[in-house]
Amino acid sequence: MKTITLYLMRFALTVTILTILFRYFLSYGIENLSGIIITLSAGIYGILTFVAGWYFGRKDGEYLPIFDVGFRFHLTTFLIHNGISLLWIGFGFGSKSENLNAPIMGAIIWSVFLLIHFIFYLWARRNSIHNLNKEDIFE
Amino acid sequence: MKNEDNLNELLLSWENTYKKGQLTLWIFMALQESRKYVDEIKSFIEKKSNGTISCEEQSLYRALRKYEHINVLTFELKEGNKGPERKYYSLTNLGQELFKQFVNRNIKLFYSEEIKNILKLNDQ
Repeated sequence: MKTITLYLMRFALTVTILTILFRYFLSYGIENLSGIIITLSAGIYGILTFVAGWYFGRKDGEYLPIFDVGFRFHLTTFLIHNGISLLWIGFGFGSKSENLNAPIMGAIIWSVFLLIHFIFYLWARRNSIHNLNKEDIFE
Repeated sequence: MKNEDNLNELLLSWENTYKKGQLTLWIFMALQESRKYVDEIKSFIEKKSNGTISCEEQSLYRALRKYEHINVLTFELKEGNKGPERKYYSLTNLGQELFKQFVNRNIKLFYSEEIKNILKLNDQ
């Protein structure tokens, strides 16, 4: 079953680039104790990730209307963001005051929301055949 | 004249509603006849429906992708007369069975004598 689509892959690539840039500026901001850089990098990263999800999600739906209530895009963002964050600090790219506790705590809190989203996804699947909404299959 | 305008308006409104949901049936009929590529499916639908069903290529591609995803049709890449390879679509066994059962349940009833008489098809 096709759930890893071209537009999901493009979204994943975009989020990977955005997350690396975000991690760089965040660590730079923390290192230099610059609240402006930290706030701006987080804000811009959040907005751009949302815009990318909205754009590629819409394109993805036009290509094949997979009925997952956005779960695939959320899971992709979760894996990329937390994966890169853990590797970034794990490999010592973070500032001196950063340690693994922050990204681990972030991932744990986020996973609660991801789990809630997963429950909605399972609920949506009851109304789908091969991941397509029963109402949307035939024209 | 006013009555005729009214009739035409009502007819168009009914037809617009009626045609929603017809595309799948026409696609299946096109592929039941023989395997086809997109342009052939499109011209089959337009020709056999006497132009009453028109389908945009984008809607057709989207529908075909969905039907391929749910395994009711498949395609084979074959070289066209000129230019790039074409996707020749055909119904899978599941698609054939689905089409057969849909026709049995929803189309065949129009061919009973009783319904044909009501529709006055025998008079024509």
